[in-house]
Amino acid sequence: MATHDTDGTGPDSERTATEASARDSALSATDLAVSYPSSDGPVVTVDRIDIPEGEITALVGPNGSGKSTIIKALADQLAPDRGEILLEGERLGSYGDKELARELGHLSQENDAPASISVEDLVFHGRYPYRGFFGAVDADDRDAVERAIDLAGVDHLREENVGNLSGGQKQLAFIAMVLAQETDVLLLDEPTTYLDLHHQLRVMETVQRLNDERDVTVAVVLHDIAQAARFADYLVALDDGEVYDWGPPADVVTEALLRDVFDVEAAVNYTPEPEITPKRSL
Amino acid sequence: MGTDEVATADQAGTDTADRPGWIDLPLVTLAVLSGIVTLLAALLQVSYGPFELTFWEAWETVFDPELLSNPAVWEAFLLGADLPDLPPRTIVVWNIRMPRVAVGLLVGANLGVAGTIFQAVTRNDLASPQTLGVNAGAGLAVLLTLVVYTELTHLLPVVAALGGTVAFLLVYAIAWNGGTSPVRLILAGIIVATVFNSLQTALFFVADDLGVVQTALAWTTGSLTGVDWEEFRIILPMSLLGIPLAVAGARHLNVLVLGEGTAKSLGMNVERMRFGLSAVAIVTASSAIAVAGIVGFVGLIVPHLVRTIVGDDYRRVILGSIFVGPALLAVADVGSRLGAEMFLYMVGVAGLTTAGLFSLVSIAMYAVDSDRLDARYRRLVAGAGGVGLLAFAYLTLTGGPSVSDTQVPVGIVTGLIGGPYFLYLMRRRTQLGDL
Repeated sequence: MATHDTDGTGPDSERTATEASARDSALSATDLAVSYPSSDGPVVTVDRIDIPEGEITALVGPNGSGKSTIIKALADQLAPDRGEILLEGERLGSYGDKELARELGHLSQENDAPASISVEDLVFHGRYPYRGFFGAVDADDRDAVERAIDLAGVDHLREENVGNLSGGQKQLAFIAMVLAQETDVLLLDEPTTYLDLHHQLRVMETVQRLNDERDVTVAVVLHDIAQAARFADYLVALDDGEVYDWGPPADVVTEALLRDVFDVEAAVNYTPEPEITPKRSL
Repeated sequence: MGTDEVATADQAGTDTADRPGWIDLPLVTLAVLSGIVTLLAALLQVSYGPFELTFWEAWETVFDPELLSNPAVWEAFLLGADLPDLPPRTIVVWNIRMPRVAVGLLVGANLGVAGTIFQAVTRNDLASPQTLGVNAGAGLAVLLTLVVYTELTHLLPVVAALGGTVAFLLVYAIAWNGGTSPVRLILAGIIVATVFNSLQTALFFVADDLGVVQTALAWTTGSLTGVDWEEFRIILPMSLLGIPLAVAGARHLNVLVLGEGTAKSLGMNVERMRFGLSAVAIVTASSAIAVAGIVGFVGLIVPHLVRTIVGDDYRRVILGSIFVGPALLAVADVGSRLGAEMFLYMVGVAGLTTAGLFSLVSIAMYAVDSDRLDARYRRLVAGAGGVGLLAFAYLTLTGGPSVSDTQVPVGIVTGLIGGPYFLYLMRRRTQLGDL
């Protein structure tokens, strides 16, 4: 727990444990250590991380700080060395494969689909957890696919083959696929990286709409801290595999954070949202 | 569920009723085309031999309503009962030449389906029963039986299937490292195939009887010579089990090719599904090996042939393979039994039929929506038409096709078709073979 923290995780890590009790968290992990088969020792050691119910939480941090690793562990893609992950108060391992996919959606950083699959067919894959081995598509599935296509704004691309899409369009198509899963919790791993500004905003606006209209809990890894500050209700700042700070953007985004975590000297103006003006690398 | 009435209206497939779009014009055309080519090749096969028939005599005998409605005959073919008294022509066609055709069709369908599943499961365009060690395992088992454990010879088909299964399990075990990956599977397949092939070659040196060597060679190159309704009875149940499972599994293959991570996120138990679908491929491939030996390249090129026409949706690719596999094997077997000139004749017919049918489809597609006319179809029409015309031009210059007296194993013909076709694919598609 944060109170036993000896290695100086960050100035506000105690708040992590006290403010967000497990009850308010859609997804939480305690005493988490995650490693890759190829790594020496854990890449991520986190005493506690919370993804609050009904909010957008952004995971930020420099390259190699463990953002994606945490998301993978939370999505049950990577088995942690130790620690307990709770989804809606239940251990992640207690969910069946399809049951979990109906509760928790996850979009990984890199996605690939055969070139000649249509966007609509791709979105229909999002209904996989709702169908049995021989199961056919039913009216619920079709409705969910329509809603997802509509929400992601890819209606005009429906008949298009995935191979003919631009990077941004492809990302929106994959987001529509995850939306068709109709989960209460959604984990997105760098959904805006490599996209042009227009598509970055399209993706984030979709996420925001999803959160507003359907009250979906979102945890999103973002590369761009300014973007994270603008769209997220909470930020989790990670540094070297540990939680440096946690809280609303106005509290977390400080000149100290940019200096300690990102090695950047920057000015932060609160208007009241934090606005970052980077000056130089440290 | 509100879809019941829709579902009963069309029971052809799991999703047909809901998504009529996935059985599309190219797939139907491909199935029709394969049907025509298969039928023509079969009639050609049935007509020629020591007891020669005209095309129409063959047609009449094959589609003889009296025979087809006689349960005693079917009992003889499918259950092994004694054959009732029949006229000699019917005996020649139905008891000597048709079993070879029928077994060939199932071998083609099974190998095509197996190759398609293996390529999806390993997410690798180069996967086939060959690359995953199944062929090598079956071949070694056959040789061991013929050379060392001769008392098991009457169980040869079973032994071959077992050998294929054991080899694949070995490949899976070698590739396993808390889960498998496509690349690891292929590498493990190469390891197992290399060792097994060496052992096979070693066994050839041990064999002292030339007859045994001949039989072993026929098995390891793949041959339909001398197959009977008995072989049909071996492969039929396996096909009836494996092919419907493959069709049902096609939707899962579509999810699996999105990658392990995505498939898992969508709620698939990836290892279990991958193993289960591989088992289906093993059953179909092994049963083909059990009756015809190792007919190479069919499992590798059928999925590619189908994909160039119907695209990447595995629901279509599996169905397409069930039609294209038999057509490919039927054409190859014409070459195997009737010789090179008859083979060219068949290639000519198949090429021109393909060009004709797909020109019609292209025109139809263009009429509906001018955007949908794909360069692929233009190439297909030009390529198939060109090959067909070349074949006919050669035959006209050399004075028409004649039947050869020497048979070669069908595996040699499929290799001769498959090699150049694969070369063409590699030149065309630069991303082929990317791991």
